[in-house]
Amino acid sequence: MDQSDPDSVVVRARNVSKRYGSVHAVDDVSFDIERGRIMGLIGPNGAGKTTLLKSVLGLTECDGSLSVLGFDPFRQRKELMREISFIADVAVLPRWIRVYQLLRFIETIHPRFSRQRAEDLLSRTRVRKDARVRELSKGMVTQLHLSIIIAIDARLLVLDEPTLGLDIIFRKEFYTNLLNDYFDGERTILVTTHQVEEIENLLTDVMFINEGKIVLQASMDALPERYVELMTSGENAERARRFNPIFERDVFGKKVLTFEGVGREHLKSLGDLRTPAIADLFVAKIKGVAA
Amino acid sequence: MIEGQAILVRRELWEHRSILVTPAVIALLVSLMAVTGHVTISAFNEQVVDVAILGASNLGPVERSAAINVMMIGISSLFALAMSVLTFFYTLDALYAERKDRSILFWRSIPCTDSETVLSKLTVAIVVIPLLTMAAIVVTHLVVLAVTGIWVEIRGANAWHLLWSTAPYLDNWIATLVVLLALPLWQAPFVGWFLFVSAFARRSPFLMAVLPILILPMLEKTLFGSTLLAQAFFVRSANVPLFRGLRTGDLFFYEGPGVPGIEASGFALLPLLDLSRFLLSPGLWLGLVVCGLFTSAAIYVRRYRDES
Repeated sequence: MDQSDPDSVVVRARNVSKRYGSVHAVDDVSFDIERGRIMGLIGPNGAGKTTLLKSVLGLTECDGSLSVLGFDPFRQRKELMREISFIADVAVLPRWIRVYQLLRFIETIHPRFSRQRAEDLLSRTRVRKDARVRELSKGMVTQLHLSIIIAIDARLLVLDEPTLGLDIIFRKEFYTNLLNDYFDGERTILVTTHQVEEIENLLTDVMFINEGKIVLQASMDALPERYVELMTSGENAERARRFNPIFERDVFGKKVLTFEGVGREHLKSLGDLRTPAIADLFVAKIKGVAA
Repeated sequence: MIEGQAILVRRELWEHRSILVTPAVIALLVSLMAVTGHVTISAFNEQVVDVAILGASNLGPVERSAAINVMMIGISSLFALAMSVLTFFYTLDALYAERKDRSILFWRSIPCTDSETVLSKLTVAIVVIPLLTMAAIVVTHLVVLAVTGIWVEIRGANAWHLLWSTAPYLDNWIATLVVLLALPLWQAPFVGWFLFVSAFARRSPFLMAVLPILILPMLEKTLFGSTLLAQAFFVRSANVPLFRGLRTGDLFFYEGPGVPGIEASGFALLPLLDLSRFLLSPGLWLGLVVCGLFTSAAIYVRRYRDES
C-alpha cells in the first residue's frame, strides 16, 4: 500500500475495480483527491458512485490499490474512521436513540469529537436533547447528523446524497453551515448529489462517473478552458458543428452546442459563449459519449 | 478498549430496553402479588394466617430457613425463565435490527471494529443480562421478605425471628448467581448460533434460528436412524453438569439417598453445586468453541457483506 505523502494526497486510487457478479460497478478507476479540495462525484443512478464511496470508506472490499489518508480503508477501517467522517445517505441515524445518548456515545468512542461544539451547533436548531431521533423531522435529523459531523475534527468528510429528501431551506442551510463551520481549506470533502446546481459553486473539483468509469475529472478552475457552450442558430450553428461539438441541444428554438478543447476565439463570432453549467456539462458528457 | 466496550454495552441497553424492563416488570409483579396475596388471605380468613404463623414459629431454624430458601428459589426461577426468553429474542435482534433500519451505516461510520461491536452484544447476552437478572432477584427477595415481615408484625408475631434472621441470603444468592452465570455459558452454542442468524438472515431470523434446531434432528432420525443431533440440542441442554449427583430436572424430584445439601442438619444450595465438575466438563468447552465459531462467523458476515 502506498503510504507516501499522505499529507497532500488524501485519496489515491489506482486501478480500483469492484464487481458484483458480472457487473462492473466500478471499472478500473484511478484518481487522486488532494488535501483541501471539495470534490463533487457526479453520476447517474447505478453509475458506481455509491460503490466507489463505500470502497473509500472501507465498507466494501475492492480490487486495485486504494489509499485513504495512507490507510487501506477496508483493512484499517477503525483507524480510518478516527480520521474521517461520513454521512451515507440520509436517515441512517438509529431511530430509537435519544440525542443526548448519541452525543455521549460518540464522545466516548470518537477521540476527535468535541461534545461542546456539537451542543453549540445544536443549540442553534430546534433539536431537543432529550428527543428521540424518530420524533425529529427529516430536516432536523440532518441538522443533528451534520452537527455531529462538524464537531468531529476529521481530515476527510464524505457525503453521499446528504440532502436527499430535504426541502430547499434545509438544503441551502446544510451547505452554508458546512462551508462556514467545517471547511477551513485544510480539510477535504468528497460529496455526491443529484442536485448538482446547489453545490456547483462550492466545489473546487468535479469528477463524472458513468457505468463504473470516470468520464471527466477536472478542477472547476480548469473547466472554462476546456469546455465552452455556444448558443446560436441557423447558419452559424452549421458552421459551429465543424468544430465537433460533443453535445447539442435545443433551448427556446436556439441551438446550444457544447465543445471540448476548442478555443473560444474560434467560436465567439458564431454566437453567445459561456462556460457550461455542471449539470449541462454532465448531460453533454454522458449523453454525448452514448450518442 | 474497556471504555469502548462499556459504552457499546450501554448502547445495547439503550436500544433493547426490554433487558431492563422485563426484570423490572417481573419484580414489580411478584412484589404486588406478595402484597395482594397477603391482603387477600388476611381478608378472607385471619385464622389461616395465624395458624401459618404459629406453624412457622414452631419450626426449627433449619426447617424455617429451608422453607424461605424454597420461596426464594421459586421467585428466582421465574426470573431465570424470563432471562432465557429475553436472551433468545435479544440475540436474534442484536445484529438484525441495525440492518433492518439501515442504522448499520451509521454504526460503521464510527471508529469501532466489527469484532468489538459483535463482542459487546455477546457480552450483553452472556454476562450483562444474567447480572441484571440477579440484581432484580435480590431486590424482589428483599421486597417480598419486607412485605411478609410487615404482615407478620401486624399479626403480632416477630418478623425478625421468623424471617429476617433465618433467611439464607448468602447461600441462596451466591448459588443463584453461579447458576445464572453458568447457564448462558452452557447454552453458549445457541447464543452464538442466534447471533450468527441475526447477522445473516435477510428476513425472519426467528424461523431461521428455530427451524434447523427442530428439523435437523428429525431429518437425522429419518435418514440415518440416529439421534446425535437431538442429543446435542436437547439432552445436552437439559443436563447441565453443575449440580452434584443429580441432573437439572431431578432437582425437586430426587428421592434417592445421599444428596448433599439436603440433610437433617439443614437445606443449603451451595453444597449442591459442583463448580469444578462444571468447569472441567468437555461439554462446556466444546460448547464454548462452537459459540466462538458462530460468533466469528457473525463478525465475518457483518464485515464482508455488502448491504447495498
